[in-house]
Amino acid sequence: MTDEELAKDLGPLAALTIGIGTMIGAGIFVLPGAAVQQAGPLAAAAFVLGGVIALLTAMSASELGTAMPKSGGAYYYINHALGPLFGSVAGWGNWMGLAFASAFYMTGFGQYVVTFLPIPSLVLGGITVSAVKLVALAGGLLFVFINYVGAKETGKLQNAIVLILLAILAVFTVFGLLNADLAKLRPFVPPDKGVSPLLPVTGLIFVSYLGFVQITSVAEEIKDPGKNLPRAVLGSVVIVTLVYALVLLTVLAAVDNSLVAGNETAVVDVARLLIGPVGAGAMLFGGLLATASSANASILASSRINFAMGRDRIVSSELNEIHPRFGTPYRSIAITGGFILLFILLADVNTLANAGSVLHLIIYGLLNVSLIVMRVSDPEDYQPDYRVPLYPLVPILGAITSFALIAFFADTIVLLAAGFVVFAMLWYAAYARTKATKQGILGKYLLQQSEQLPDAAVSAATSVQPDGGYRVMVPLSNPESERDLISLAGAVTKANDGTLVGVHIVKVPDQTALESAREEYDFAEADRLLEQARVDADELGVDMETHTVLSHRSFEEVFDAAETYNADLVVMGWGPDSHGSPGRAESAYEEITHALPYDVLVLKDRGFDPSHVLVPTAGGPDSDLSASIASVLREFCDAEIELLHVADDRDAGERFLREWADERGLGDATLTVETGDVERAIESHATDASLLVVGATERGLLSRLVSGTVVMDVVDDVECSVLLAERSRSRSIRERLFG
Amino acid sequence: MTEHVESLFSHPLLPLANADDAELTCATAFPRIAAADGRASVVHVIEKAGGAPDKAGVEQREEVADELFDIARRAANDAGIELKTDLRFATDVGDAILEAAREADATAIVFTPRGGRSWWDLFSGAVREELIRHSDRPVVVLPADGADEDGET
Repeated sequence: MTDEELAKDLGPLAALTIGIGTMIGAGIFVLPGAAVQQAGPLAAAAFVLGGVIALLTAMSASELGTAMPKSGGAYYYINHALGPLFGSVAGWGNWMGLAFASAFYMTGFGQYVVTFLPIPSLVLGGITVSAVKLVALAGGLLFVFINYVGAKETGKLQNAIVLILLAILAVFTVFGLLNADLAKLRPFVPPDKGVSPLLPVTGLIFVSYLGFVQITSVAEEIKDPGKNLPRAVLGSVVIVTLVYALVLLTVLAAVDNSLVAGNETAVVDVARLLIGPVGAGAMLFGGLLATASSANASILASSRINFAMGRDRIVSSELNEIHPRFGTPYRSIAITGGFILLFILLADVNTLANAGSVLHLIIYGLLNVSLIVMRVSDPEDYQPDYRVPLYPLVPILGAITSFALIAFFADTIVLLAAGFVVFAMLWYAAYARTKATKQGILGKYLLQQSEQLPDAAVSAATSVQPDGGYRVMVPLSNPESERDLISLAGAVTKANDGTLVGVHIVKVPDQTALESAREEYDFAEADRLLEQARVDADELGVDMETHTVLSHRSFEEVFDAAETYNADLVVMGWGPDSHGSPGRAESAYEEITHALPYDVLVLKDRGFDPSHVLVPTAGGPDSDLSASIASVLREFCDAEIELLHVADDRDAGERFLREWADERGLGDATLTVETGDVERAIESHATDASLLVVGATERGLLSRLVSGTVVMDVVDDVECSVLLAERSRSRSIRERLFG
Repeated sequence: MTEHVESLFSHPLLPLANADDAELTCATAFPRIAAADGRASVVHVIEKAGGAPDKAGVEQREEVADELFDIARRAANDAGIELKTDLRFATDVGDAILEAAREADATAIVFTPRGGRSWWDLFSGAVREELIRHSDRPVVVLPADGADEDGET
């Protein structure tokens, strides 16, 4: 077997039982009492309606899952499609939603245990903790512990538990059918309330439909996800909906409504009546198994979501440390456990169910929106194996029904949901925005379309993009120029209080797969280079992260890496062997330079010495970058700045240069105005200079590198180091739009 | 003497369990390997549940693997020895290490004891036992200099 086959070892049955096992616990063992009390036999319709809403979203989740079988599931898709602002909402929502749901399952577990174990309630400092809650707390602790130490046997039990549950429920249904009397189902709709309880009850029991989305959170482990993931996701929703509806209908047809209504362990009493003590025992056992497996699966899923959030820096990645001995994400599990215990203590069973439901409904709505965004923007790498039928009807209906159902919850729950969304957004604004590294497809799409879209949309998209601080990327390849590049980039980083990103691009021959290169390549040299860079950055007092990138390309990879690491500025060396030999793909650079999303500095290094910096300027956006680089060098490297302007008319030139320098805070620099030939002027003044900073003007600087134009002659003719500066293109679009 | 006997440290395999283990094992073993003019292979095994959800995600543990291979590479670099890394997925960690040793034709399996109480082995699996009992090649347990007795870090 290949590594990939070994890594993806969840078969179709295992994937299906994760969904069924998470869902089946709540619906049938805990909620019928409360649901029937509010809606009578109409409760069965609420389960079907819940199932239909879940199924719409399940289709969207399946398509997104087959396109992106990644750890973290729903959170990952939403973050990917809608960006980290909504990613934060989805991640926190999914995480806390699962904690609420687990607290709910455990409370249900407690309700089952107290029917056969006489447990007293506990009075602590005037606060009474009921017996149910005591058992729920103990159960919660137990399952958190099991996940903390990672007993792998529990995972394998899941299949058996689900099969046993389905068998118990099947036998129960058969007995129910034998005793069924359809007359007991009438009136189907409660005569005093009409159909009005239908939607509130659907909201209450919706906690029974959270499980399918947990399948997507382990999508990366599913064998052949293109086929098995949709089957498991859709299959589990359909099966669970049928089981719920069938069981509830037969129960209500077999016994009086009054036996079920308001009864916390209704199915046990019904089984006792229909089958006898053995039946009651079996249902009791089933209730314990079901609530336990639901909680266990939810705790596991939440650690996957934490991991994905940590990877995108929505939360601290410290949270995802793996335990050295148990190999589990123990911090994440312990914190999730803390929330579960807290929620058990604070809220009653219906509130827990409602909170779990409402947070998941937000996620479900966003999932459907994400699907639409992916389809509309249609990025190249979006290739789902499963496609939602009847697009766009299904995701639109899915989004509307999910969001609309929220309105039918009690006011306090709606308020809780709204408060929660606000919290998650504030969290993003206050904590994650400076750290998050990933930009959503939606944001990219809006920015790309910026010329056609109304300003407000682009402005909104721009203002919520993660900035991750100011990030300066330095591709390093040559140990000789490393120090010079780090000194230069470090100064700019420091001036912007940003982060330096050192990237070593390792060129792998085309015939070697990147995966195997990762294992076989000798990284000693790369490590040494990056290590040295870190030491140098440390000396400058600059934060630095380093990455080694394997690629079949080298020069072109710089631009991909800059996108990947969200660079605001790329500082690269240029020389005969700086980054492989560019020149084969000139047209590609032309393309890149037209949409350059970051500033670029290219250093033709003849020894980096910023003591006397010459900045020729004719105005224009690229010389603005030269000017800001010059002021950084003056502040951090004690550089002497000389500004050079070549004009036809000396007086006009002096006026221009004086004004230009003052505006850019360079008024105290040496100002030189020349007439005549631009190149000759630059060359003659460069003889005294140690560094020449040249702004690119009209055409892309990078294509100049390749094609050799006017600027190139200057670069070759002068004896000092030359720094070429080119501003990002996207920024100038923004400036055009917003002044 | 007709048979050529290779030094234990001429090409050993080092199983690495986590970052601390990697740090410690490499620091203790690599100088010895360098002294024997040898080269090293390190293996990390991602434990799979074999048909059930894992205790931690695969992508998450691949990140851990990257991190500890980085540690090993840096250490090998310092010691001036050649290094090969091997990432495996398996339900039985001990078996996978033995298989890696066979495939690499390692002269020995070298590790530092991770300490710990035997009670925890119920949960973390007694890989050490498996290595010592079933290995078809020498197993070298290096004293962990400066490791705290408990092994709980």
